[in-house]
Amino acid sequence: MGLLALGGCASQVVSIRSVPAQTPAADSAAAAAANAAAFAEAVAAEAVAAEPAAGSPEVRDGPPAVPLLTPADAPPMYTYDPWERFNRSAYRFNARFDEAIFLPVANTYRRAPRPVRAGVHNFFGNIAEIDSVINYTLQWRLKYGLRSLERLVINSTIGIGGLFDVATKFKLPGTPTGFATTLAKWGMHPGPYLVIPLLGPSTLRDGVGFLADYGAAYGINVAGLYRGNVSWALGPVNAIDQRANIDFRYYSGGSPFEYETIRFLYVRRRLIEDAGLHGKELPKKPAVDAPAGK
Amino acid sequence: MGISRRLLLIAFALVCSAPLAIQAEPTELPPQLQPAPGPATGLSDSAGLRATVFGTPPDAMAPLPAKVPLYEINMTLPWRLPVPEILWFDGKLRVWLSAQKKPAPLAIVISGTGSDGNNKTISVLRAALYGAGYHVLTMPSPTFSGFIVSTSSTGVAGDLMQDGHDLYAAMQQIIAHLPRKVRITDIDLLGFSLGGANAAIVKSIDASEGKLKIHRVVMINPPVSLFGSVGRLDRLFAATIGPGETGVELLYRRLYAQIANLYRASDRLQLDQNFILSAAAVTLKTDAEFSQAIALTYRLQLVDMFFIGDLYAKTGAVIDPERQPKVGDSLEDIQRDLRAKPFADYFTKVFAPYYLKRRPEATSASLIAANRLDIIADALRSDGDYYAQTNSNDLILNKRELDWLQDTLGSRIIVYDHGGHLGEIGDRQQVADMLDMLAGRWPRSGQ
Repeated sequence: MGLLALGGCASQVVSIRSVPAQTPAADSAAAAAANAAAFAEAVAAEAVAAEPAAGSPEVRDGPPAVPLLTPADAPPMYTYDPWERFNRSAYRFNARFDEAIFLPVANTYRRAPRPVRAGVHNFFGNIAEIDSVINYTLQWRLKYGLRSLERLVINSTIGIGGLFDVATKFKLPGTPTGFATTLAKWGMHPGPYLVIPLLGPSTLRDGVGFLADYGAAYGINVAGLYRGNVSWALGPVNAIDQRANIDFRYYSGGSPFEYETIRFLYVRRRLIEDAGLHGKELPKKPAVDAPAGK
Repeated sequence: MGISRRLLLIAFALVCSAPLAIQAEPTELPPQLQPAPGPATGLSDSAGLRATVFGTPPDAMAPLPAKVPLYEINMTLPWRLPVPEILWFDGKLRVWLSAQKKPAPLAIVISGTGSDGNNKTISVLRAALYGAGYHVLTMPSPTFSGFIVSTSSTGVAGDLMQDGHDLYAAMQQIIAHLPRKVRITDIDLLGFSLGGANAAIVKSIDASEGKLKIHRVVMINPPVSLFGSVGRLDRLFAATIGPGETGVELLYRRLYAQIANLYRASDRLQLDQNFILSAAAVTLKTDAEFSQAIALTYRLQLVDMFFIGDLYAKTGAVIDPERQPKVGDSLEDIQRDLRAKPFADYFTKVFAPYYLKRRPEATSASLIAANRLDIIADALRSDGDYYAQTNSNDLILNKRELDWLQDTLGSRIIVYDHGGHLGEIGDRQQVADMLDMLAGRWPRSGQ
């Protein structure tokens, strides 16, 4: 604790600051459990993928047969990024903002007791459940919409206004969705890569989805949260909660190519998720030279 | 560590990258040493490849402390070269300290090729050392981008002696600026992979300059010949992935399709990191696939060092010295270009031209010879404070090099029969032996 006080004495030459302690014992146990679970899931998925027609259990809203992608279906390694100059400067702005303000604030927040942080996280997750109900309905995936509705009702009541995620204990895990996924479901491509100032990597479609989700929340104005006396605090607290739950630091790898790497991973992940939305059919094969996302 | 950082790198990579079973026999080793089956080089065998990718299994891990406090230290070093505008984020040396409350010895840990000072592997060592009562300072490798830009006096990384001097100077600066509350009774060094060789060199420099009075050194999976080890990884890349960007692209397409298929077949609604890593892990089945993952991981770690070296030395290997890239310029084509280049190209096009110009008496052969651990053979042999831990199936060594290490260090080296490269870090035996070596309790009586 003595060193904590020194955290403030940053000079030009050297800055020493305390960061959240590591908890190796708990981390390795938690990581082992999470890895084991995800690994089991992947193994199960491999078995399903290996025998798509053999009456495998229904896992999605659709018939069980999942046609397999081949390497030729993969999008090219290049990514559609016509606004690269803007995006790169937004990326740099985000990196600097994160390092100077966002991350230090999130790290301070991480010192709050775990139950408090969990409460905040659950609270925002519960509000977002409204948006999930709407969008699952728009996506015509009513099974999941119903699940979100059940979660909303249970957590808002038994979970005391959403502070406790009781529904997960009732085997109703949270699976948030949004308008971006609705657009994807009805066939919209990701479009140009877009780095949104303060928010981070996105695409044109995902950016529109984000605005629509916010607009819906603002319009519904649940419990007067979005248009009241303390509404100004809502966005920042939500943002800090989200930041504190993301284990990412700009340029921690020091790589000159971080922009390229993040863009590559973000767009590929979204494309794979899109492919998952269309279980019955394969995604359209990209034109030979069209960069990914176009 | 379970599915470890290496796998993360691979998924990272990979999502830049997968399995084409192009089988090729290693050309260098005599038949009795050829690993069977699969295209691995060096001493590696099938189990070694797996251990290299997956690390120590959770149930073999040494007990680690519940909580390890951590301080992040960012330093501007007085001898820093001008920071290129596009590397604006790398101008400060970032190291990490876990301090005891009472006086204690300081253990400085140096990371492996291309890695920073706060990765999964180094965190395991930090936890083990902190738990044993050391102050722990973890440092990036001199081949890490952030180190090259903030600390290197040349910008061209990979020369053992030069990197050793830069590391030594940086350590002095850091220790001089530590808060007075951190009371240090003794200084020991550790390093894994390339960091092991770096640690030994730093101790040998300190032996003549005497500024830090470094006591003991433990090298974990050190290379013997830098260029020999990296050449082995180049051959692994050529043999398993194929030459250049075409191989990487095929690998990527294969892997993309596999991850997408697993995701579509699962009942997941979102693709998260755990699932991507697990899907990649499920995908890796054969020795050839493990070899691809390892070769690609190393290649990607070297790309940054290559780029920065070319930028500083203005050697024009991939960057036109007259038209250096600016903030806002796309670097994708340069990155693709570099991914296709073996490490040998870094040596011939950046490293050798740079150092030959500055060392008139040097030749390419002498530069290679200067990057072998045997430049400090006498110290390793006669000074009882150098220790090493390695594995009999470490792919960065060959039989001759392992024999040399054993012959030179005698009873001060332990060779485990498992773990591949770095795949034993954190297991109970490795941690116990490491702590005994650092404390001077090695060799244990009766051994």
